Amino acid sequence: MRLLIAYLSIAFIFILLAVRLFVVCVADSDFLVQRGNEQWYRDLPLKAARGEITDRYGNVIVGNKSVYTVYVRPRSVTDPQKVAHALSVLLDLDEQKLYAKITSSTVGEITVKKNVAPKEANRIREMAIDGVYLTSDSQRDYPYSEYLAQVVGYTNIDNEGQNGLEGYYDKMLKGVDGALLVESDNKGSEISPLYSYVSPIKGAQLTTTIDINVQAFCENAIKVAKAQWNCKRASMIVMDVNDGGIVAMCSTPTYDLNSLPRNDINMLNAYSKNSMIVDVYEPGSTFKIFTTALCIEYGKVNENSRFYCPGYRIVDGQRIKCWRSKGHGSQDLSEGVMNSCNCVFMDLALSMGVEKFYQGLRKFGFGAKTGIDFFGESSGLLMRESSVKTVDLARIGFGQAVAVTPVQLLSSVCATVNGGYSVKPHFVTKISNTYGNIIYNYEKTTERILSESTSKKMRELLENVVSKGSGKKAGVSGYRIGGKTGTAQKYENGVIAQGKYVSSFVGFAPADEPKYAILMIVDEPSSYAYYGSIVAAPAVSDVFSKIFEYEKIEPTMSESIEYTDMPNLEGVSYSEAVKLLKSRSLNFEVQGEGDIVISTLPLGGERIAKGDVVLLRT
Amino acid sequence: MENSKKNGIDWILTLSTLGLLVFGCVMVHSAGSYQAKVWYGNEYYYLFKQVLGVILGIFAMFALSLFDYKKLKKLRWIIYITSVVLLILVFVPGIGVENYGAKRWIKFPLFTLQSSEIAKVGFVIFASAYMSENYEKMTTFKGILPVLISGGVICALIILEPNMSITVCVAIVMFCMLFIGGARIKHFVCIGAPALLAVPALIIAEPYRMKRLIAFLNPWESPLEEGYQLVQSYYSLGSGGMFGLGLFNSRQKYLFLPFAESDFILSIIGEELGWLGCACLISVYVLVVSRAFKIAKKASDRFGAYLAYGIGCLISVQVIINIAVVSGSIPPTGLPLPFVSSGTSSIIAFCCAIGILNSIKRYGDAY
Repeated sequence: MRLLIAYLSIAFIFILLAVRLFVVCVADSDFLVQRGNEQWYRDLPLKAARGEITDRYGNVIVGNKSVYTVYVRPRSVTDPQKVAHALSVLLDLDEQKLYAKITSSTVGEITVKKNVAPKEANRIREMAIDGVYLTSDSQRDYPYSEYLAQVVGYTNIDNEGQNGLEGYYDKMLKGVDGALLVESDNKGSEISPLYSYVSPIKGAQLTTTIDINVQAFCENAIKVAKAQWNCKRASMIVMDVNDGGIVAMCSTPTYDLNSLPRNDINMLNAYSKNSMIVDVYEPGSTFKIFTTALCIEYGKVNENSRFYCPGYRIVDGQRIKCWRSKGHGSQDLSEGVMNSCNCVFMDLALSMGVEKFYQGLRKFGFGAKTGIDFFGESSGLLMRESSVKTVDLARIGFGQAVAVTPVQLLSSVCATVNGGYSVKPHFVTKISNTYGNIIYNYEKTTERILSESTSKKMRELLENVVSKGSGKKAGVSGYRIGGKTGTAQKYENGVIAQGKYVSSFVGFAPADEPKYAILMIVDEPSSYAYYGSIVAAPAVSDVFSKIFEYEKIEPTMSESIEYTDMPNLEGVSYSEAVKLLKSRSLNFEVQGEGDIVISTLPLGGERIAKGDVVLLRT
Repeated sequence: MENSKKNGIDWILTLSTLGLLVFGCVMVHSAGSYQAKVWYGNEYYYLFKQVLGVILGIFAMFALSLFDYKKLKKLRWIIYITSVVLLILVFVPGIGVENYGAKRWIKFPLFTLQSSEIAKVGFVIFASAYMSENYEKMTTFKGILPVLISGGVICALIILEPNMSITVCVAIVMFCMLFIGGARIKHFVCIGAPALLAVPALIIAEPYRMKRLIAFLNPWESPLEEGYQLVQSYYSLGSGGMFGLGLFNSRQKYLFLPFAESDFILSIIGEELGWLGCACLISVYVLVVSRAFKIAKKASDRFGAYLAYGIGCLISVQVIINIAVVSGSIPPTGLPLPFVSSGTSSIIAFCCAIGILNSIKRYGDAY
């Protein structure tokens, strides 16, 4: 009897246990497996490489290189002393701290150092120390170092795009990270060969409008200008006249993208800012292009119109000076543009009136963003139409009381000379994903702003500026180039900053059928010369001549350069000096209001080409 | 005595046992090979030990099958005293081996012997022998006292090692023996009450037991400390599900589950062979225990009946405690799964027990 009771009791307990096991094994299975996965698999993230950024011909501007992350898994370390010593020597780390970290750590894995170069990584791998692991990672590589620094922007330490094209197109460029699920034992050692691999998907590739060769020409030109004029900043943009594509864009001072000053955030911010898109400046004389173009378009002026400049205009009882206080006398439109006579453009602006002038300026896109594919674009400053007084209207006519971005100004110049069609500045023409499929294609949108004939007329007027006027230094022998100089005083806190100028030159070529437009800006040249004609124009000439050579554009004019000697004008009276220069077919800019020439650039006796622009200081 | 040899051995029992032993070797290797490789640099470390144990065990089992169990009755004092001496020897420096903070093993040239494993069987033999001779006295308190004293001495020595799980196991077996011997219910209550009161005292005496108890109530609160063992066991069983991951496919054996090859081998069995595997294993145990009880029922004398019954109880109690621990039904405690878990002493002791069962059948005259 008792035997049976014992037997049944035992059997009953066994059944209970089987049920209990069933609950754990089967009923709680999902929950337990989910929890268990966390300890069974070590998740090694596989960072997707970012897409490349190339120029229009596929040259890689921003690529990738392999870097390594060094890990230590303390539980797999057999000789912490050795690990700490070897790594601290190779990776330039504090041995004591590393040793303490390894020996006292409770975590499974310590990241010792990121972004380790392949050379060091290989040496670590060769040493094969227990507990030390390496994973490879992709980091940005810039084959052209400092080129396009403000355009492409940079990525942070985690390879995320921060600004520039890297920031604007970050979603496209970044790709999809993969993962390597490694089945590991409780110490973190891998149990081979069981693992699952989720392949990372590389980011999409950007094809830009940049031509790296033209970019190189510009980078050199601004460096020369920066050194020559000791300016605060020299910048240059080359734009495709017909579709607004940015062919080159650069600014100096700059920095090597391969060694970002990450520790100095202020410096990084200052150097990486693309002032050609996000900053505004008072354009000065280059703005006269639009006053002229609109006036021709509205039929308010033609080649027979004549203007008289006594050196000033009285507008609404206010006396506004022409840049040349002695005045330009009687001029026709072409001469007025060549002389860049302020009086002429005041007259033109006043003849249109605020409403029509503004209507035209808005068509050009002033006061609004161009929509370029870049973060932080500024829309420029156009006074409220309702508050524009006659005086303001006159000033805007010659490029004062208005602020534009360099890229805005250049795209409007393109529209003026390309036959009258608006262009939209842009960098990226094509985005193709890693499988080669095109996921974005730039589509040109345009509208007519000016008539064909106005545009043609403007090309002629601006070509004269270079061939005969103050733009001579922008010329390239044998080629037709159009352009306009600009020199504007800078404002600081609303008042004119004495001695601070923004000197610029905007040019386009070939003048009869423009292909490229260039804007050169020299910000605060610190030498005595500050005219755009002298400071900015030579860089444009330099770049154009290299473009012609590179693009194999043949000269259209067989112009033989005639040379002459610069006369020695020191101490000579101003009127005598002008006579002497004209007799040698030299153009000139005057600085100062005196009657006696103090000095000249170049100095007397130097051999220069006829028609060149020289500087007189009186 | 030679004339009383009428019956064959119990083949169902023997084959079941052999099956369990072989299955144990496979599972010990599966569960322990990775750990053996990491710890000892030899993935066959546990397998070799286990095979050695099984060979010795099978040898002992057949030897005892051929040995008339009735002689054990005469040898009861020798057996009992040997057991006690072995238990005392673990405390002697140079002979006893300390491991995991407990002195449970005696060092021999080739292997270590866990005294308590021998003592369990020794006690069952001694108690059976006493009760079969004094069965009329079992209804009196005086009559059951020798069983209580002999069991108590063994329990006391085991708890000093310390080894709570085997102590409890021996204690329960002792009560089972008294139950079958005809002890009165009121005596059970008299002895049982102080025994139950001793449990909290023992728990408080060792702080780690208290922590384990709390961890058992909610292992998820400290999954990396006290609750670790149980949580890891859950992960094993849970990932096994109904049908398991397949033999050798356990993930928990990669150093996650401590004692995977010994006390927690059932977790790995559950992980690799699923609940069905566990259920089959339990069925085999039920079969073995049933055979033991059948042998007890048909035994030709009281000694054989008590002995077979005691062995059945011993196996049952240990299997029950082991499964209960692994499945989180009682607080974690270390007790090997008979015939399957790694552990030479345990294997040999249980094989001897099976040999005794066969002997009871062979030398009995009821068949």
